[in-house]
Amino acid sequence: MELSRRRFLQASAMTAAAAGFTAACGSSGTTSAHGKDLTLWYWGGGLSDKVVADAKAQFAKDVTLTASSVGGDFKQKLVTTLAAGGTSVPDITGIKGEDMASFLPSASKFLDLNELGFKDISSQYLAWKTKRAQTTDGKQIGFPIDIGPTAMYYRVDLLEKAGLPTDPDKLAAQIKTWDDFWAAGAQLHGANPKSYPMRNLPELFSLVVDQGTKRFIDESNHFIGDQSHIRNAWNTAVKGFTAGLDGKVDDNSWNAAISTGTLGIELGAAWHALDIEQAAPDLKGQWRVAPMPGGPANDGGSYLALPKQCRNPEQAFKIVSWILNPENDARGFTDAAIFPAAPAAYKLPAMTAGDPYFGGQKIIDVFGPAAEAMPISYEAPADAAVMAPYSTELGNIEASGKSPDAAWNDAVSKAKQIAQRQGVS
Amino acid sequence: MLSYWRQYLAISPFYLVFAVFSLFPVFFSLFLAFQHWDGLSEMKYVGLQQFQFLLRDPVFWLSVRNTLVIWVLSTVPTLFGALVLAALVHSVRRFKGFYRIALFLPNVTSIVAVTLFFGAVFSNNFGLVNAILGAVGIAPLPWLSNPWLIKVVIAALMTWMWTGYNMIIYLAGMQAIPPEVHEAARIDGAGPVRAFFGITLPMLRPIILFTVVISTINGLQSFSEPQVLFGTNAANASLGGPGQAGLTTLLYFYQEAFMNNDYGYGAAIVWAFLVLIIVLVLVNWRLVQRGRKP
Repeated sequence: MELSRRRFLQASAMTAAAAGFTAACGSSGTTSAHGKDLTLWYWGGGLSDKVVADAKAQFAKDVTLTASSVGGDFKQKLVTTLAAGGTSVPDITGIKGEDMASFLPSASKFLDLNELGFKDISSQYLAWKTKRAQTTDGKQIGFPIDIGPTAMYYRVDLLEKAGLPTDPDKLAAQIKTWDDFWAAGAQLHGANPKSYPMRNLPELFSLVVDQGTKRFIDESNHFIGDQSHIRNAWNTAVKGFTAGLDGKVDDNSWNAAISTGTLGIELGAAWHALDIEQAAPDLKGQWRVAPMPGGPANDGGSYLALPKQCRNPEQAFKIVSWILNPENDARGFTDAAIFPAAPAAYKLPAMTAGDPYFGGQKIIDVFGPAAEAMPISYEAPADAAVMAPYSTELGNIEASGKSPDAAWNDAVSKAKQIAQRQGVS
Repeated sequence: MLSYWRQYLAISPFYLVFAVFSLFPVFFSLFLAFQHWDGLSEMKYVGLQQFQFLLRDPVFWLSVRNTLVIWVLSTVPTLFGALVLAALVHSVRRFKGFYRIALFLPNVTSIVAVTLFFGAVFSNNFGLVNAILGAVGIAPLPWLSNPWLIKVVIAALMTWMWTGYNMIIYLAGMQAIPPEVHEAARIDGAGPVRAFFGITLPMLRPIILFTVVISTINGLQSFSEPQVLFGTNAANASLGGPGQAGLTTLLYFYQEAFMNNDYGYGAAIVWAFLVLIIVLVLVNWRLVQRGRKP
């Protein structure tokens, strides 16, 4: 068929018109606040898949909820989509706890959940967790899904061999401070030369920092990463390394390290239980949980948020508050080791039952008190970026034997520079 | 001009795609290099501040050093290997097509797959290389944690990928040399080695110049290799492996722009790096051109 000029122009004009027509439809869809099709973005393990499926059925008569489990770098995909705008922006989205601080300066891209009714139910959720998703002027961006109270996971058989108590309460009585921990760790390593009490330096440093009430930047936007609270956390971590108790396990070798007993003690958040269970199903009954040395800390725990493009804020908020009500939040714990941010859930049978993987231990007895005694710290938007050089330099100590003092000086000077670049004074 | 509209229309898809996905981002990144932007909130004009930070940023200079070392470690064996292989393939009489395809094949394999394969082969604990070393009584080497060995592994990967590509270009160049020249040399009593250095090399000079320039541009853009080798290590928030020994400049740019959402600084990194690439290409050009008769 020969394409004449007229025919071609006609065809292009029609294509253009069609494109314009679809665009018009699309935009009219966004302005309406009563959209019937809602999308939900989360990541694998971020919410209980069963609860999400039930939510679809529960709200089917009002809206069609399409949930996508987004893989890869979630934050990067969300930022790109929000920046692009339009209809591809999800109506409900998950935000990871560690990313929340960096989204707060862009609060205008999200709806204020307080206006949709969150302030009436906020008392059901842990105040410190709620506050971390709040702007300084009180706008609530995130609805807490879960928290990550940390604890000490340990291998009964290996501790027994080292002559350490294996009962969680007795072990907790013996290991209260980090110095106790290193003493017990040395005992473990002495009796089991292939076993270590510590995964790696950067990880431990981050856990110790989480135990504090101050981080790298204070509320008045000053860099405080060179002060004693950070230096002490640094020293605590380095102490384990210089004592030869560092397992130097990275993400690639972690599964093998757990299943072969390289890690006799593993410090981590409540959701970490699932990782251990999946890495070493054969070790069922050999693991127990005791409180964290040096006090509780939070590592992770996420939120749901409604981007301002949300097609039906009222329904979306209803769905979110249904998915995250204490009963459903407790189901998330059973399905995906998501530790609820609603303390009422801790009393529900789903959570008070003994965990067969942990030899029938009621692990809520360890995590529950930790969740309510959490230290509250201010996490600035630039916190993660400023923290990065510390992890890098601790990695250098581990990988190339850099002297801890030289590494500290380099970490602080790099962190100061990044802070300055991020507009921190 | 207008009467050729069909032809212009026919080639327009490339230019449209190029304009949207390459040309526009180039200028947008130049604009971004003078802003502070996290991708979502308002942009803030900061003038030359990003470049001032860059000059004093030890990680940036570390990444530049890493990139240059990896580039030298990979480009030199690549080009020499390609030249030798091309001469060999040029002289064989049978299975020429098979050799050409076999040697070019690494270049069309997926870089991610190959990198994962290299990562497994060079793995510190369970790798094939260390198993072979162990079999002949050599202690295992920390391929993926020693700062120098990390660079060697990345360079070996790039050499494996690009030797065949350069070989094909050299081979084409060799085939373009008129056979009479070689014949005359043979009559004058020149052996194959003498003919290679006396005739093939000088006549290949423009081709070599081309491959040196292309390899400089390609070799300095190493990104996927370290990204895939060390990208999964979430415990170490910094990319580039232990001691950041595999942190190339492009990887640092990616980390700043897309992981830390500091787009302004990321843009400043790549623009500063562009200047560096231009300088290096010019230096190389001069070096290879040197001694050429006017």
